[in-house]
Amino acid sequence: MNGSRRILLVGVAIAVMAAFSFTAPAMMNDYFVRIITVMCINAMLVISMGLANGFTGVFSLGHMGFVAVGAYVSGVLALSDQAKASYLPDLPGWIAAIHLGYLSSTLVAALVCVVLAFLVGAPLLRLSGHFVSVATLGFLIIVNVVLVNADDYTRGARTFTGVPLQTNLPWAMGWLLLSLVILARVVYSPKGRAWRAVREDTIAAQAIGIDVLPTRLSAFVIGAFFAGAGGSLYGHYLGSFSPSSFYFAYTFSLISMLVIGGMQSLTGALIGVILVSVLSELLRNLERGFDLGFVTVPPLYGASQIALGVIFILIMIFRPSGIMGDLELSFGRIAALLHTLLHKGQKGTNT
Amino acid sequence: MTMTRRTVVGLAVTAGLAIATFPAMADDTIKIGSPFNVTGGLASVEAPALNGAKLKAKEINDAGGVLGKKIELVIYDTKTDPTVIAATGSQLLNQDKVVASLAFADSDAVLAMAPQFQTAGVPLVTPGATSPKLPDQVGSDMFLACFGDNVQAAAGAEFVLNKLSGKTVYLLRDNTTEYTTLLAKYFKEAYENGGGKIVLADDYKHGDTSFTAQITKLKALPEKPDVLYVSAQPDDIGVVVKQIRQAGITQPIVGGDGYDTPLLLSVGGKAANNVYFSTHAFMAEDSTPGIVKFYQAYKAAYNTPPENAFAALGYDTVGLIVDAISRAGSTDSAKIRDALAATQGYQGITGSISYSNGSRVPAKTVSIIGVKDDKLYLAAEVTPTWIAKP
Repeated sequence: MNGSRRILLVGVAIAVMAAFSFTAPAMMNDYFVRIITVMCINAMLVISMGLANGFTGVFSLGHMGFVAVGAYVSGVLALSDQAKASYLPDLPGWIAAIHLGYLSSTLVAALVCVVLAFLVGAPLLRLSGHFVSVATLGFLIIVNVVLVNADDYTRGARTFTGVPLQTNLPWAMGWLLLSLVILARVVYSPKGRAWRAVREDTIAAQAIGIDVLPTRLSAFVIGAFFAGAGGSLYGHYLGSFSPSSFYFAYTFSLISMLVIGGMQSLTGALIGVILVSVLSELLRNLERGFDLGFVTVPPLYGASQIALGVIFILIMIFRPSGIMGDLELSFGRIAALLHTLLHKGQKGTNT
Repeated sequence: MTMTRRTVVGLAVTAGLAIATFPAMADDTIKIGSPFNVTGGLASVEAPALNGAKLKAKEINDAGGVLGKKIELVIYDTKTDPTVIAATGSQLLNQDKVVASLAFADSDAVLAMAPQFQTAGVPLVTPGATSPKLPDQVGSDMFLACFGDNVQAAAGAEFVLNKLSGKTVYLLRDNTTEYTTLLAKYFKEAYENGGGKIVLADDYKHGDTSFTAQITKLKALPEKPDVLYVSAQPDDIGVVVKQIRQAGITQPIVGGDGYDTPLLLSVGGKAANNVYFSTHAFMAEDSTPGIVKFYQAYKAAYNTPPENAFAALGYDTVGLIVDAISRAGSTDSAKIRDALAATQGYQGITGSISYSNGSRVPAKTVSIIGVKDDKLYLAAEVTPTWIAKP
């Protein structure tokens, strides 16, 4: 497929998604719109997590730390003056005086995460393998403890509430498309090749002139930017959250989406998010019990978590590197797939 | 082989979707939302609340329902997860189209769902989230069926002053949760207003396992306090009480409804003697007639006695909502809201519920429960005279 045709197709796909995100709220139930909105936010978090974890081979458990910082920073900045006075009376005057809109507070939150990622990444990313996972987990714990104890800024472990509910489907879809386009450009550029080279063999990468630390750091920092932005979107979606909202439970739910979809594939991450989200919603509704006419199943609360766990294990057994592995679902591949299917179909009718 | 497997998976997913999106349509019932965190961190408090609610719904339906229709509780497990809570809120409003809802025993959970109900104009009553700030944080459609923390703190303060003759108090609080910090603040205000003196206030963090630092400071006080007031979460209270007693401190320990958990006696053991706490109702076979009847019905339905007062609160909240529907004479959410706001003297088993002067937090009697010989007993019923502002 040639370049201009691909650009055209990508443009059409983006236009279709944009049109969908604007018309969906009018066409379907708000419940489905919300599920899709959360899926977009999670997808953004998972693909940005995949940069370091999948493409660069730095399995970071600290991604959620940036999400938390993003949610809190944009939350503090976007709170109305009245809400600030009643929820955060001890906020230093210069912060209390700042009042930002939705987009600007999201951007500031993302940039704060970029700075933080530099500071944290520079020493930590010298480590490899399990060590970097444990070290970044330490970062997540530090973020949590700071959020719980910085009462004046975060209300401590109490609920941070009053954040304007401004995340809707067009915003979430817009951010997802933006991150997808940017990340796809970077991942399949010379920079992205350097990431993969570092992942496969640091010594060989060094031998051909790739500087390991800056290469890893670039993936980590770009990931942190989108994690911070995603955190802000999530905060403005829920409106109220506490430090425990951004901790191990959410971390592992993102990791499971990433691993199931395929760590080394952007579209794989997307598929993982969609699969896990749809399955958990489906099972959550099924566990309430149902009546099939001939058989009545009573409610079994908690059964959905068990079923989901079993499904994850099965996927890992049959597809150990995730559903997509390191393949991307590109237009070319879809076309080829359709072609084989069609071909098969024809053969089927002929015989 | 692959095609068959795919077909099977496809069929299963389609069937699942069909069941999930098109629940049995029954228009002859009145739908009341009933989301609770039946699994996860809040399960020990909210599962009993849901059981209580189901029991009341069954009693109402057995007696003929309301407005000639049966009521239907639309139940969801929200898994103590804010994202699930927010999605469930939308499901209740847009898919199930509930006319009103009860929800949760924790203010964090309520805050993740309530704004949607406020926007949709559907009343939401929480059986057990005791923050008196909730109605102002959310808006006109938010109601509490339980007393606020300011009321139970005031009751605790008056109990300390009048029944325990405590002129001085040592105040210990968990400074990491909304409930414990508010409760301590309201207690201090009410106690000092009543003429008591706080000799020392100290903090700990939720989940701490050693309280040596706090206890050392307490023992070093030149003036020994008459009473200790400890504002704690259910999972900490057993350990706190045990360590205080092991340090040889024998003064009465007083606290809030976070103590209303089997953990107080199972973890605290003998150390729990001379502990008093404020809560919504005294769950026992020798309590008030309403509670005794509930106690027996609950035991018959679930094979276990009511775990705590939240079971009774769930029961009362369904009653309160149905009472409002009946007085509204309509299933219109706005009319139900107005009827709820006008509730005067609804007789629940956890006390009488009235919303006066535009307040959406009821003024209720507070039960003070004491521990003697490793057993709970009803130490006092208090209607506080002075209550701190929310």
